Amino acid sequence: MQKLKEKFKNISDTNLLLLITIVVFFLMYIGAVVFQGKGFLKPQTFFNILNANAALILLACGLSLVMITGSIDISVGGVTALVSMCCAVYLDYQGGNVFVSMLIALGIGLAFGLVQGILIAYLDIQPFIVTLAGMFFARGMTTIVHTNPFNVENPNFVALKETRVNVPGMGSVNKLGVYVPAYVELGVLVALLIVLALFFILRYTKLGRNFYAVGGNNQSALMLGINVKRTKFFAHLLCGVLAGIGGYVYFLHVGSGAPSHAQGAEMNAIASSIIGGTMLTGGVGNIIGTFFGVLSLSTIQNIVSSAGLDQAWWTGITIAAMLCLFLVIQSVVMARKKKQVKK
Amino acid sequence: MKKKSLALILCCSLFFSFLGACGANIGSGMGDHATEPATEEEKLTVVGFSQVGAESDWRSANTESMKSVFTAYNGYELIFDDAQQKQTNQIMAIRNFIQQEVDYIVLAPVTETGWDTVLQEAHDAGIPVIIVDRMVDVSDSRLFECWVGSNFELEARKMCEWLRWFCVKHNILAEDVYIADIQGTIGASAQIGRTEGLQKAAREYGWNIVATVEGEFTRAKGYEATQQLLLKYPKMNVVYCENDNEAFGAIEAIRDAGKQVGSDIKNGEIMVLSFDGVKPEALQDVLDDSISCIAECNPLHGPRVEAIIRKLQNGETPQKYEYVDEDVFSAYEEIENVIVDSKEYPITLVTPELIERRRAEYDTGSYVEELPDNVY
Amino acid sequence: MSKIFRNQLFIPIAALLLLAVFNLIADPSFFKITLGYNSAGDPVLSGYLMTILDYGSELAILAIGMTLVTAASGGQDISVGAAIAISGSVVLRVLCGRDHHAETMQAPIIVAFLISCVVAMIFGAFNGALVAFFKIQPMVATLILFTAGRSIAAWINNNELPIVNEISFSYFGGFIPGIPVPTPFFIALACVIVIFLALKFTNLGLYTQSVGINESSSRLNGLNPEFIKFLAFIILGLCVAVAALIKVSRLSTINYSVIAKDIEMDAILAVALGGNALSGGKFNMGASILGAYVIQFLTTTLYKFNVPADALPAYKAVVVILLVVFSAPTVREFFSGLWKKMTKKGVEANAKA
Repeated sequence: MQKLKEKFKNISDTNLLLLITIVVFFLMYIGAVVFQGKGFLKPQTFFNILNANAALILLACGLSLVMITGSIDISVGGVTALVSMCCAVYLDYQGGNVFVSMLIALGIGLAFGLVQGILIAYLDIQPFIVTLAGMFFARGMTTIVHTNPFNVENPNFVALKETRVNVPGMGSVNKLGVYVPAYVELGVLVALLIVLALFFILRYTKLGRNFYAVGGNNQSALMLGINVKRTKFFAHLLCGVLAGIGGYVYFLHVGSGAPSHAQGAEMNAIASSIIGGTMLTGGVGNIIGTFFGVLSLSTIQNIVSSAGLDQAWWTGITIAAMLCLFLVIQSVVMARKKKQVKK
Repeated sequence: MKKKSLALILCCSLFFSFLGACGANIGSGMGDHATEPATEEEKLTVVGFSQVGAESDWRSANTESMKSVFTAYNGYELIFDDAQQKQTNQIMAIRNFIQQEVDYIVLAPVTETGWDTVLQEAHDAGIPVIIVDRMVDVSDSRLFECWVGSNFELEARKMCEWLRWFCVKHNILAEDVYIADIQGTIGASAQIGRTEGLQKAAREYGWNIVATVEGEFTRAKGYEATQQLLLKYPKMNVVYCENDNEAFGAIEAIRDAGKQVGSDIKNGEIMVLSFDGVKPEALQDVLDDSISCIAECNPLHGPRVEAIIRKLQNGETPQKYEYVDEDVFSAYEEIENVIVDSKEYPITLVTPELIERRRAEYDTGSYVEELPDNVY
Repeated sequence: MSKIFRNQLFIPIAALLLLAVFNLIADPSFFKITLGYNSAGDPVLSGYLMTILDYGSELAILAIGMTLVTAASGGQDISVGAAIAISGSVVLRVLCGRDHHAETMQAPIIVAFLISCVVAMIFGAFNGALVAFFKIQPMVATLILFTAGRSIAAWINNNELPIVNEISFSYFGGFIPGIPVPTPFFIALACVIVIFLALKFTNLGLYTQSVGINESSSRLNGLNPEFIKFLAFIILGLCVAVAALIKVSRLSTINYSVIAKDIEMDAILAVALGGNALSGGKFNMGASILGAYVIQFLTTTLYKFNVPADALPAYKAVVVILLVVFSAPTVREFFSGLWKKMTKKGVEANAKA
């Protein structure tokens, strides 16, 4: 016991918050299985959560990066909507091909990352206001590109959208007595690959360590010879690109373009990052935590909707309550840590 | 290093326990299924209902109608999901229903397209889907069991026919009619049908449509849109609102701008036309001549859907497309009926007694008119 | 010359003039104000300028609170739109009682308003407590209410849409009989007077600025930074309640997901346009209030030129970016350097001549 306490004391901020997130997620899921049974026991329910939130995972990863450097980006939801609309219009009205549409998505993300990165890192403008403008711009542009929501009918794209990867060894028997294997969509694979890649970048590369250093303390990072401006710029650039990819994954999931797409996605992404243990003050955070943050958030949503809590407001209120809880935990944990250090 | 391993062990063990739970289910899946009907759930028919949202009175009345029918008392368990106007939420909800193995899925789709995949999944899982209100546009109509709803274009045609006769009787020239169309949520069947109907009629009779703007079926948007329109198009004399809530907003905006609402468009009044007629307040407005004409859109789908489910349970095939009977309300006696596609539709005269009756029904929640024979 | 440039009021006034000139050239009828009579036979002024005065006023009220929050905490409250939904919902709930389409009001308007003030201040206090005592960044702390606010608003009224039929309720967002100027303007005026008196005769302004500039040094000087921040959020709550009254009065009803949508962005924009640093510290209340009307001026102008409501943000975004880029310290330094060089050259050229 004494040893355990010792370990708890020595655990780093990042790992402690990560641990809390993961434990909460599993408790929640187990709770859902116990109390609501039926649906949640099936593996497909879990994979449906992944399918529906692959894009959110990517957006939240991007946000985690900028939040680790102590910045913020609230344009990701707008970029997602813009990407889906542009790709949808390109594919259906211009008869374009799928590969080029991916490039368009990447290009849009890159452009947003580039401009916002320059404005924030090199011109030293408040990230909140820059990305707020970015969000406004993206949302407005989406309706300028096309006003009405519509579904893409391009056959190649639809084929890609319908592509499913079966998860080996998992599945369930449905009502008709047919065994249905569990599946994930392509977007989930993309999201998982990127999560892994980012995890390694943050942990083992110089750039990744620089993110933490810049977010932890601007001044000392500067003294250590880190190019603070460039690091911040890269964080925003990466976030933009991830928003582009996330936008495409979202587009791949919904298969339509609409101005109302991904409404509030930026807030969900920020919320998942925070639940995943990223601190907004910077310097603390973990991609794996973010991943579990998204899962926790969407599991809550799922529980609320399948519990038949028939009023839509419950989703909003539970998510907010969870966010509040995590913020307070973070704040308390940090305060205690500080005290311990002082002692 | 040790502290990390602790964290690692903890999360690994949890993850495997989770996988174990999943894995165990694969084996016991069959057994689960076999034992299930023996439990108490045997009696209750589980119905999953994915609703668009709660954007208008019509929608709330529609939801209420479903909830009042699918009660435990009637032998049902209703899982209600409010999609807050998002198709992704609805798809997610339907997938949830499939995983929960509900007996029937009722879907009020937010838009017409993009349902193939998920309806195919429901079909494969052997769960019948009943579509209400708006239509779905799928490649194979076997993907859904049947559809219940209104003929939106017919509503619009009836309304336009009424307007034509009104103009004729009041000596208003077609070129003096300046209509602003405040549309509903773009892509909704009601919006498509009602806009289409108006466009056709305007072409046919030579009316001017000065503007077509989006009003999202809400009072706030209707107010905002009308306010802008009044500033931009002083000539506008007919506001064609695609539901009551928009009409309420429009009336308020017109009055706030210092103009008169009414049917006397020759003398500078602005005519408001509306759809739905769900709330007694809307009919009261017709009586006060604030709204000149309302084409009814019946939100009470609950009893009809319940009848369909009962038919399905008895192994019968219900009618594939079922239109709801709907009235046209106006306070002008001179137009008694309108003819659309050589079929005659009576115009219901709004009287204080009619409103009183509606109000009583609405307040007690028993607002259920008699259903046509083919349903029961 | 540089004095004029440096004055904080310069940016909003310049923007206002620019917009006015633009409108004058494009279509002078923009400035036309007509006197008409509404259905009750009372005189009302209408025209684009009146729209600006009308809708800019609720923004100005919010800008007051937002300026204080920004100055004290160095962050912004993004939950004002959601908070407006909540307090608007409370007003209607109190007025309508159980019956959501009551013929008569169940309580006097003043009672409903006071209750909504209390509720809004409680939510403000919640935000304030998270920011001041738990040291959570304002934007993140208010994210909670932002997510939950509209849901809570719907919950208060059981997701019904209550309607107040009494005419006197619509005075707050419309016109008082006999007075042709929209009421929101007078409400905003009253708020402005109150806040200016408060700034002049109390230490509110001084304390807020000192906390915003340097928290630890103001603590050493005997101030209580936590309390000042807390207070700023409560004042913002009060502003929200006033704005909410105007909002619900306009329609006599509420739409939870649409009411005051994106208004937080406009309010923050007003503060930024007023030349106030979004990172806190010194502030100029007058500039913020002027900024609010300029934002509304921009919105109305865009509406006039048939920009659809949904595309509006794109144009606003361009304006914001230009604004922040030109007011960024690095860019300013660059330009002032350029200016110096040019004048130097000019002086040298003159000397040579």
